[in-house]
Amino acid sequence: MTKETPKELFEKGFITQEQFNKIDLISSGKVVSVFYELRSLLYLGVMLFTAGAGILIYLNIGELGHLLSIITLSVLTIACFWYVISRAADYSHERVKPPTPYYDYIVLLGSLLLIAVQGYLEFQYGFLTDNLGYSTLMTAAFFFFIAYRLDHVGILSLAITAFASFWSISVSPQKWYSGDFFSGSHLYKTAIIFSIGLGIVAVLLDRKSIKKHFTFTYLNFCTLIFFVGSVTGLFDGVWGIYVLLIYAGCAFAYYAARWEKSFLFLLYAFVAGYIATTYLLAETIFANGAEIWFLYSIASCGGFIYFIIKYKNHFKQEA
Amino acid sequence: MSSAYNETLVYNLEVIKQSKRWVKHDFIEKPQLENILAEYTAPFYHPNFLIRILLFVATLIALSGATGFFALLVADMGKETISIACIVYGVVSFFILEKLFIGNNHYKSGITEAILYHSCGFTIGGLAGMSDFDNVHIILWSCLIGFSFSSFRYLDLLCTLAAICSFAGILFFEFYTIGGIFQQIIPFVFIAAFTPVYFLVKKLKQRFDLRLWRNNLLIVESISLLFIYAAGNYMVVRELSVSMMNLEIAEGGDIPFAFIFYGLTAFIPLAYLYFGIVNKDIVLLRVSLIVLAFSAFTFKYYFSLGHPEITLTLAGIVLIGTAIVLMRYLKTMRNGFTRENILSEKWGSMNVEAFVISQTMGGNQPNAEHTDMPGGGTSGGGGASSDF
Repeated sequence: MTKETPKELFEKGFITQEQFNKIDLISSGKVVSVFYELRSLLYLGVMLFTAGAGILIYLNIGELGHLLSIITLSVLTIACFWYVISRAADYSHERVKPPTPYYDYIVLLGSLLLIAVQGYLEFQYGFLTDNLGYSTLMTAAFFFFIAYRLDHVGILSLAITAFASFWSISVSPQKWYSGDFFSGSHLYKTAIIFSIGLGIVAVLLDRKSIKKHFTFTYLNFCTLIFFVGSVTGLFDGVWGIYVLLIYAGCAFAYYAARWEKSFLFLLYAFVAGYIATTYLLAETIFANGAEIWFLYSIASCGGFIYFIIKYKNHFKQEA
Repeated sequence: MSSAYNETLVYNLEVIKQSKRWVKHDFIEKPQLENILAEYTAPFYHPNFLIRILLFVATLIALSGATGFFALLVADMGKETISIACIVYGVVSFFILEKLFIGNNHYKSGITEAILYHSCGFTIGGLAGMSDFDNVHIILWSCLIGFSFSSFRYLDLLCTLAAICSFAGILFFEFYTIGGIFQQIIPFVFIAAFTPVYFLVKKLKQRFDLRLWRNNLLIVESISLLFIYAAGNYMVVRELSVSMMNLEIAEGGDIPFAFIFYGLTAFIPLAYLYFGIVNKDIVLLRVSLIVLAFSAFTFKYYFSLGHPEITLTLAGIVLIGTAIVLMRYLKTMRNGFTRENILSEKWGSMNVEAFVISQTMGGNQPNAEHTDMPGGGTSGGGGASSDF
């Protein structure tokens, strides 16, 4: 649609000759960026390689070559980390530009290989089985370190996930002893507390201006885990509390959306809030009758849409 | 008939979007943007992508309420009447879309899309219902007409995709019902039909008076390329022949013209890649990467040595190697190709990437820890990445 636009803007005098030359080079297709193509290629390669290597190890456990392959992988992991750490730029609270375009992917490769090697060691030698939780915690701590030191958002996601799984594990065995591991593992309560903690950490770090561009990832995990947890609680536990919790979460998500200028949080909040409200109404006012539900869905969503459009300036994102 | 949107205003909006992108990348200065904003005005309500999804979901829920009332109204009226009522309901919602929303300067606001798909669904569903859902001709043709109309008038990209797929469906189905030799030549018919479509669309894309539809044409262009490839792909032809045309393949035998399809499977991706590079055609280039992967998969599928994990690992090494070599090679611009990100694309932010990483890999961490079966941990990752 915009092939002729630079020319038109130039002729109307909105942009200078020099600017026009630069822009026209791109919009006419004389210069083509394969930035995303190369990155996708690399990402796919890392994924395939780590997946393939992981399966390779498991399938050949106990065979002659497996010791060799595990050593190879360990060496490769160390090589990856040696490469990235030796070339790392100095630590900064701000965003750090990676020294080479494939740098980030080597960090990712090393981290994923680390998971493969660690999983293998646990399985084969079992020396971490008794302390499964702590080995996960160590992985999480290491990933947090890598994420902050090398400024890698993807590894931060891995770290948060590992940390979250540490919590679920360390809670579950207690339930195991009390005998209701499967029936009543109140994992969602842990999830809610965990996500609140995550949110607090995110806010504090952001206030201190430490890696502000990580805040989005923290908040994303925080809101998702929180809403999933409390919606599960809604159907499982004393619903009144969870309705209130979800409403509080919605309020937080609304501020997060405004603050991070990303309305993803608003989307989560809407879905969770809608479920909570509907549940609340179903339990209290509405008994049955289809018509009232139709009316309710039209009125509630219509009202919501009206609200968004009416206060559209409120929901504007910086371009 | 033309687009429901005002052409100049849509164009202005596009100019504004582009200019904002240029400012972000320091191609032009902020004051210049102010001037451009003053000249090119677009009073549209066109919120950002996430708000659009939000509004889309909310509109769908609200519409389900409206549909519920409608259903109560016509529920006892018999099949014929319900079909007609659906068509009327669909057409009425088209009008509501135009008058109430597009008339009030909604431009792809999420609400418009929701109502549009809702209208398409009811109109096409009603038409199909008239024929008791068993006349495939009517269903396919009404899909084609409904979706073409929607993509033309409302510039909708998903409708464009649906329309071109309906077209392919008609092509396939018509030849399939004739039977006999016509079933066998379906692959060649597809190639013969979509090749002109591709070149025509490429021409149309250059036309200034069609600038409003350039994104739609882009969809048609890439899908045509995919169809041309798929029609020549050995795996697609073989599996479809076996499942739809009851082709029996004897032990050691092969499908008719097998050598042609082997050849096409190998040749088309390379041709795409070659012309993509020579003509600096990013569409061709992207499609070529996708179909190259699929060709590799096809050959592996039929000539497998039975070690998928080794294939995965080797494929990973090859991809990583190729990407790193290319990145080094394109450090300086060659032949107009650069590895740098010159103009950011809409989904190109690191945050999205991080999320994808966590979804495809990190999500498997808990499984890996709980499992006590060999092959648990990272093979979970393997499953995820093949989805990817």
